[in-house]
Amino acid sequence: MSIRTFHSQLDYVKQELLTMGGQVIEVIERMNESFEENEKSVMEEIIKDDSLINQLELDMHDKVTLLISKQQPVATDLRKLIVALKISSDLERVADLVVDIAKQSIRLKNENLIEYKEKLKSMFVIAEDMVRNSLEAYRQSDILMAQKIALTDDKVDTLYGDIIRELFKIDASEVEVDQITQLAFIGRYIERIADYATNISEWVVYEVNGKHFDLN
Amino acid sequence: MGMLTAKEKVKVELQSESKVETVPARDKIVYDTKNLNLWYGKDHALKNINLSVYEKEVTAIIGPSGCGKSTYIKTLNRMVQLIPIVKISGDIEYRGRNILDKAYKVEDLRTRVGMVFQKPNPFPKSIYDNVAYGPRIHGIRNKKVLDEIVEKSLRGAAIWDEVKDRLTENAYGLSGGQQQRLCIARCLAIEPDVILMDEPTSALDPKSTLKVEELIQELKKNYSIVIVTHNMQQAARISDRTAFFLNGEVVEYDKTDTIFSNPSDKRTEDYITGRFG
Repeated sequence: MSIRTFHSQLDYVKQELLTMGGQVIEVIERMNESFEENEKSVMEEIIKDDSLINQLELDMHDKVTLLISKQQPVATDLRKLIVALKISSDLERVADLVVDIAKQSIRLKNENLIEYKEKLKSMFVIAEDMVRNSLEAYRQSDILMAQKIALTDDKVDTLYGDIIRELFKIDASEVEVDQITQLAFIGRYIERIADYATNISEWVVYEVNGKHFDLN
Repeated sequence: MGMLTAKEKVKVELQSESKVETVPARDKIVYDTKNLNLWYGKDHALKNINLSVYEKEVTAIIGPSGCGKSTYIKTLNRMVQLIPIVKISGDIEYRGRNILDKAYKVEDLRTRVGMVFQKPNPFPKSIYDNVAYGPRIHGIRNKKVLDEIVEKSLRGAAIWDEVKDRLTENAYGLSGGQQQRLCIARCLAIEPDVILMDEPTSALDPKSTLKVEELIQELKKNYSIVIVTHNMQQAARISDRTAFFLNGEVVEYDKTDTIFSNPSDKRTEDYITGRFG
């Protein structure tokens, strides 16, 4: 492979990763849309489709490993590949968390604690935007956009804290305790998705200027 | 920074410089090149070079063909002055003394500074005589002393085990990789302070290259090494500092880890990632 071909392969890796990101966003959207209605069939589909995203991550790892071993890249080129590995792992974890949300949602009863579900939904919408924007920051190699995502993460953390405090203030019957726990778990998973979006943003900063920032 | 928001944290960190490099103490500098300019006739081959070589380190010099890297290394033992049309200005201090000073005897310099070339160049003599050549020139005649020097040098160049039973054989019978290590042993025999290497592995196969690279790692425990190499991965593997030369100038000189992970000059980045050169 000539050096020119290698550089076009780097662009290809980025495109592949953005495609994987698109699929993860699509899963988040599906989960978000059916979150309030709690459609079991949609949840089951999301759980089933996770294996496809797992495979995309493995494919990315294979592709990057091969490029590193054959091309021995340095500096920006190496960072691009390392960042592709890191972001693909983060995206795979985001998809896993969506699966966890789907599994917990199946166990939720529709009629209960509807106001908290609404709050979680609004938190989920922010997390979804964060993932989308972090991938956009990656696409454009835009450090400023990546930093803004970190600010949004502070907002998600606050919302999560508020919801948890409210949930544990409820004077609950035994049945509701189970429901409250499910909601708390879902809140935690959404908060983790926002953290992964922040991680992706950190990798964007690293790819561009070679420096690490803890934006969490 | 506990009270700062994430954005503020990034701002602060972006503004602050990366870790402050520890500047080695002055006495650790072996070669200090100051405002060095060199012309081949009208061709300005080295332009205002300022570069320090540090003790017991491997300093790699990289750059495209014609950038001046071989010229530079050849100024360090004044070999370049063998070319009649060469004109030099500036200073090259070796251990605090300007070697470009006419009073500095080139013989004195070359007993302290050995050189290994691209193509192995053993003398058409026995393995033993190749190594004993330098010490003999310096007046050592005692067979026992010479034996000791030869063994020590060959061991130092990691070739003793391969040649100890054939010391009287002609050096031309050795493989390319062995010949190059013999040349390094010949260099060690005069107990130099610095070893200059001009693309020492470019004529060797990967296995011999590996051996010479391992040897360089060993040698830097006792010697300061300057190596010109076209193989950037080699510079990344074996050197402590790397200088990137381009069109007769030093574009960037830094710790090798920095040069190969996050160089500060775009021209360095473009060169090491194969975008030109």
